[in-house]
Amino acid sequence: MEDAKRQEFRNALRQTKNLPTLPGIVSKLTKMADDPDTTTEQMGKVIGQDYILAAKLLKLVNSAFYGFPQRISSISSAIILLGFNVVKSLIISASIFEVMEDQDVELWQHSLGCAVVCNVIATRMGVKDPEEVSTAGLIHDIGKIAIKMELPSEYEMITRLVRERKMSMRAAEMEVLGLDHAEAGGWLAKGWNLPKKLLEPVSCHHDPRLASTEQLNSAIIHFSDIVIRGLGYGHAGDNKVPMLSKRAWELLNFRPADIDEILEQVEEKLWDVKGFSLEIKAEETSSTVG
Amino acid sequence: MARILVAGSGILERPETRISLEAKGYQLIVCAEIHRAVGVFLEDPPDLLIVERGFSGAGELDLVRVASGCLQKTNIPILLVLGAEEMAAGIDWQLLPVDDLLARPVTAEELLLRIQLAEARRNRVFDNNPLSKLPGNTSILNAIQKALTSSVSMAVCYVDIDNFKPYNDHYGFSQGDEVILMVARVIVNVIDQAARGRSFIGHVGGDDYVFIVPEDKVVEICDKVLANFETVRNLFIEPEDVLRGGFVEKDRQGRVTQFGLLSISIAVIPTGHGKFQHSGQVAAVASQMKHKVKALEGSNYLIDQREEYSSD
Repeated sequence: MEDAKRQEFRNALRQTKNLPTLPGIVSKLTKMADDPDTTTEQMGKVIGQDYILAAKLLKLVNSAFYGFPQRISSISSAIILLGFNVVKSLIISASIFEVMEDQDVELWQHSLGCAVVCNVIATRMGVKDPEEVSTAGLIHDIGKIAIKMELPSEYEMITRLVRERKMSMRAAEMEVLGLDHAEAGGWLAKGWNLPKKLLEPVSCHHDPRLASTEQLNSAIIHFSDIVIRGLGYGHAGDNKVPMLSKRAWELLNFRPADIDEILEQVEEKLWDVKGFSLEIKAEETSSTVG
Repeated sequence: MARILVAGSGILERPETRISLEAKGYQLIVCAEIHRAVGVFLEDPPDLLIVERGFSGAGELDLVRVASGCLQKTNIPILLVLGAEEMAAGIDWQLLPVDDLLARPVTAEELLLRIQLAEARRNRVFDNNPLSKLPGNTSILNAIQKALTSSVSMAVCYVDIDNFKPYNDHYGFSQGDEVILMVARVIVNVIDQAARGRSFIGHVGGDDYVFIVPEDKVVEICDKVLANFETVRNLFIEPEDVLRGGFVEKDRQGRVTQFGLLSISIAVIPTGHGKFQHSGQVAAVASQMKHKVKALEGSNYLIDQREEYSSD
């Protein structure tokens, strides 16, 4: 693929402004925001389950205006620093975004599921800030939605390749665009001033070797993506489980018994999340926002 | 160049209005859609906001509340544009905290003058800290004086950051500024949620802040400020220093010393009923309390429990 074309895609993706949010989430949060007893933490918990709002929140807190460029890597810290009013306004401004379609709900579930696995693994490995890792897991596929929004005709070609030639989404992206959603997500994260601790796991989640300082976190996201796809929770655009990176496997250094325990914990945690998904889907059908 | 966000569409209908403002160097961002206006306000805040009443249902109420509610941005003037019938209906300024109003039809000349007036007025009353945008010393003294005569007992709280000076030396002033801003945001957001409308937050300068809240809320607020600070703090410290539990830097005498991680100390002085006559007495008690609370390890607050003071 010639550089000019890549550059054109890159510019288009860089201008990504509006990412679609689930109206179900927005209407739930709007209700919460109107209730004077709602705490910032409660809203944070809901936002922490939506990869688009999470990304928007991190973009805002790391923007030059708020004064913490490339510093804030977890949702709870972002909420403490932005405060209730700004979080509420973010929700108001989110309600104009295009409504997600069915397949986007699947990607939403995949992102949330990946964050759950990341949290289990990061906690287990004694990583210093497990929330940071699950935040990275939550937004790891942000590039996919940006491609869909900004390059709709190319996206159409990509999904056709996935459908007709049974390719993986990533291989189809490479064929059509000469770049994949991980790279695209990395540009977004960079343009939004997100800290390296989030940027690298997003842009290197298919190949942790590419990470300069965040190899371990990238490896955790990489493996969590594989686990959640293997479990069939949500859908990330194709029904293929990505190849396991050797480097990631070395870094994680799991024994088979570890995997059993991880899966058990993941199943347990997904159970809670499933309740939330159902709630959101119910909101979705009754919701008028969007 | 001043940027003006115009939420609405009617006011710039006549091209000469727009041209005359742009000729004066104002940059206009027009949003005819309320949600977009909120988005612009948040992500790329303007220097001045003009809101047209009724341009988007009741949506402009939300926008004004967002604009005046973000405590960091309280110095952005808000102008409201009204029609004759809306004026006749009356307005509750508590619900719509704007700085000035304009009656339709608005001429280009009047609009320009109103904008300039709003800017001039803002510069006149502005004693805010340039970094945190919080009110400065004059406002703090006024607020303390007001608290002394309040019908409910208030608590005047003096906050400072422990080990800030060596932190600043070690990490550089630009990161030091980030920490100052971080603590301001933590305090503002906690109080905003717990005791909005009945409180005051000021920035003395450097790593010193004052907040005043109703006494019955002070424990809840101090606990929350300390907890939130602890959650966010480590993002501002290198991982190796977090592991070591401190950082190594020269002290005031030039000796290499290990300092503890950043923490905050809050000295709390309840104003009681008629316990103090003027703000100077509060400041004197505060300096004793500050001394005590800073002597404690880590982040703490101490509430002054004395009922009365010797008259010296």
